[in-house]
Amino acid sequence: MSDYIVEMKHITKRFPGIVANDDVSIGIKKGEIFALLGENGAGKSTLMSILGGMYEPDEGEVYIRGKKVQISSPNHAAKLNIGMVHQHFKLVSDYTITENIILGVEPIKKFAGLFPYVDIRNANRKIEELSKNFGLEVDPTKKIADLTVSMQQRVEILKVLYREAEILIFDEPTAVLTPQEIDFLLGIIEGLRNGGKTIILITHKLEEIKKVADRCAVLNKGKLVGMLDVKETSTKQMAQLMVGREVNFESDKAPAVMKEEVLKVEHLTVKNEDGFEVVKDVSFTIHSGEIFAIAGVADNGQVEIADAIAGLTKVNGGKIFLEGKDITNESIRNRTEMGISYIPEDRQSFGLVLDFELSTNLALKQYYREPLSSKGVLNKEEFEQFGSKLIDKYDIRSGQGTKTQVRSMSGGNQQKAIIAREIELQSPLMIFVQPTRGVDIGAIENIHKMMIHERDQGKAILLISLELDEIMNVADTIGVIYNGRLQKIASSESLTTNEVGEYMMGAKHE
Amino acid sequence: MSKDKKIKSLRYNLIRPMSNEKWQPISIPIVSILISFIAAAIVILLIGKNPLQAFYNLFQGAGILPKPSYAGYKSMLTDFLSLLNAMTPLVFASLAVAVAFKAGLFNIGVSGQMLVSGFLATIVVGYSGLDAIIAKPLVLVIGMVAGGLMGGLVGWLKYKFNINEVVSTIMLNYIAQYVISFFIQMYYIDPVSRQSKYISEAARLTLVNVEIANLKMDIPLGFILAIIIAILLKFVMDKTVVGFEIKAVGSNRNAAKYAGINVGRNTVLAMVISGGLAGLAGVTYYLGYFSSIQPKVLSSIGFDSIAVSLLGNSHPIGVIFSSFLISIIDQGSTYMSSQAGIRQEISSVIIGLILLFSACGAYLKHKVSRLKEKEVDQKESES
Repeated sequence: MSDYIVEMKHITKRFPGIVANDDVSIGIKKGEIFALLGENGAGKSTLMSILGGMYEPDEGEVYIRGKKVQISSPNHAAKLNIGMVHQHFKLVSDYTITENIILGVEPIKKFAGLFPYVDIRNANRKIEELSKNFGLEVDPTKKIADLTVSMQQRVEILKVLYREAEILIFDEPTAVLTPQEIDFLLGIIEGLRNGGKTIILITHKLEEIKKVADRCAVLNKGKLVGMLDVKETSTKQMAQLMVGREVNFESDKAPAVMKEEVLKVEHLTVKNEDGFEVVKDVSFTIHSGEIFAIAGVADNGQVEIADAIAGLTKVNGGKIFLEGKDITNESIRNRTEMGISYIPEDRQSFGLVLDFELSTNLALKQYYREPLSSKGVLNKEEFEQFGSKLIDKYDIRSGQGTKTQVRSMSGGNQQKAIIAREIELQSPLMIFVQPTRGVDIGAIENIHKMMIHERDQGKAILLISLELDEIMNVADTIGVIYNGRLQKIASSESLTTNEVGEYMMGAKHE
Repeated sequence: MSKDKKIKSLRYNLIRPMSNEKWQPISIPIVSILISFIAAAIVILLIGKNPLQAFYNLFQGAGILPKPSYAGYKSMLTDFLSLLNAMTPLVFASLAVAVAFKAGLFNIGVSGQMLVSGFLATIVVGYSGLDAIIAKPLVLVIGMVAGGLMGGLVGWLKYKFNINEVVSTIMLNYIAQYVISFFIQMYYIDPVSRQSKYISEAARLTLVNVEIANLKMDIPLGFILAIIIAILLKFVMDKTVVGFEIKAVGSNRNAAKYAGINVGRNTVLAMVISGGLAGLAGVTYYLGYFSSIQPKVLSSIGFDSIAVSLLGNSHPIGVIFSSFLISIIDQGSTYMSSQAGIRQEISSVIIGLILLFSACGAYLKHKVSRLKEKEVDQKESES
């Protein structure tokens, strides 16, 4: 008998073309927070899917509580008290929290000893109790559709707790959360550990590991490259192991050389579909050679500002000037032509047509122009050439080159494709919204470099991000938004991270 | 164990021909059709008849295979031309559905659009006594314009008020059906046939009983137009900026808007094209295949065309082939019933089965890709 609750020995899993896990052996102790660190595609999720019963390993053995097991299905994993909190929630949005949680394990009672029915009331009580015990604070009778992302995640956690999981796997739980929500979640995770649960945390965010994890396994290209005691290891060392080379967190950049004004926003007001003002009287300017970042907690109106500038949202008040010309009422196409590049927040539903080929997506903003088409007829050869040129230049990786369906590409490469397309437009103004969300560390570094390079070429850049570190790192000027209002605009040198945080929370304003 | 393996290898052999992705748009419909014919054969066996003979009769009736004897002035060629005559409106209607599909729209109002354009062409040209040389093109133009306007209305309602096109097309179907039925019964009724009065020969898009080489044939002029338009449509959808924008809007409205494509204009445009094609289906049906309109009845072509379009993968050329197949069964069924003693309704069952299995194309595709994955897995674990 070993002292490990979970032991995975010499696990190898192959997929067509790649070895996702290559002879990986890990052991997890009862009652610890064990982090699994690695870039996208390093094999973290595959390894945990094996533990969760989604895949069977090609080689190797799994031991749970010292006993050798072959986990054949997620149900089997649940019987072994293993529960997975998925990155993409699997919830029915028209059902209440309770209904979602009991789905598949409904408590059945019989009315008059004959007619079976689902005992919702009892389940509600049980779930409320459970949520209180672990500080999750949900109202079990609410519908999923009415919940925020972070609340939905709590439902996912409750789901596995309700099924009496002892070993909880969290797959990139913080990817969709705001900084405050992340802190709250990490608190919950610690609470779960203190309650005797064993936690496995899949992530590529180093700070989170540093904050809560006890031990950490690092995967790189399917191989286990390190087993670390988190307390004794610096984040820098972890990053090096993970990427396989030295990583620069601080991007080197020369001081900004600001020239003429490119974008001027005056008293911008935007209402959402319900007629509610989400952007209130916002004014700012961005110069050539400047990175202007808007910092703020999610849903405080920053995305609407970007949409208003790009023309995707109607403006209810105020004016927008691009290089001195009033573009407030121009069409989206005209704005692109006049010089706006836009990397949208939601790359899959806005940035790309997932069922189109890569080359077509790369041409999505220029297809109607010479040489890609002439007199209304597309030139497919030019599409190919244009596509291959961008693929080489920006190192976009895909299975079948220009012919790849974008849907099948990894998130990081999809993002690269969008950035490539937008930089190629050579617009004087570039808008980046959450450019590094869900992208691994190596690629983040690369995206930051590209942004700074474009700035040095004399572009005006508007960066909207929820990652405060990112903003402090690359911005020349920072505007902090809270509740639709810009609370503060100042150069990045004159602000500390703490100050920006206070403005973001609305605790401080001018 | 060995039996198990046999079944498995049989499955592999059945599905492997479909695994080449490049040929999937063709191989999957063909397999769907084969499956449906097998199912139809079982139905025919169940009623105690020989399915092979029935299918043979079906093709004879449609003019694909020669019959043992023909009546005077008839031959295989006349049968074949009748087949093309019946097929023409179906091709147009299916193209109409296909174009709307590409734009992410579901035009189930083809029948209504057909009726409106057929009726307008009938009263404007059909009863006018114009010369053939003017009347025939005018019929086509009226059909296209009337259908296009009606489709455009649907697109505009969708764009302007976000009214789901399924709802508005169904409602317009009812409106067209009853309003036109009113006018026919009030002003244009033929008291003997209880249908609208017959149109002049000059306006009719099918030349009826043309005597050539001792044969009396129906020559469907619209058929040639249908083929030309299908090819033209393929070019527009694949090779032009207009087609690109319609497809982008159909695949992802948000991304299309983001890329600067005018989503509203393209929605309306796609519906105008779709309606225009439905209009052509209408005039080739009411002023070609028939020469009068039966009041209070919507043609079933508008609904069959949805499935025909699916069977043809919403591809203009594919639609020609799927319409051809469905028309063969439709046309051959009378002969089959008289020769093989199988009720005509059975042919409706066969058509139903084909259309049913055509909708299973997506399932087949899924099955193929699953099997392929498994195969790769197996190979790797063996090595």
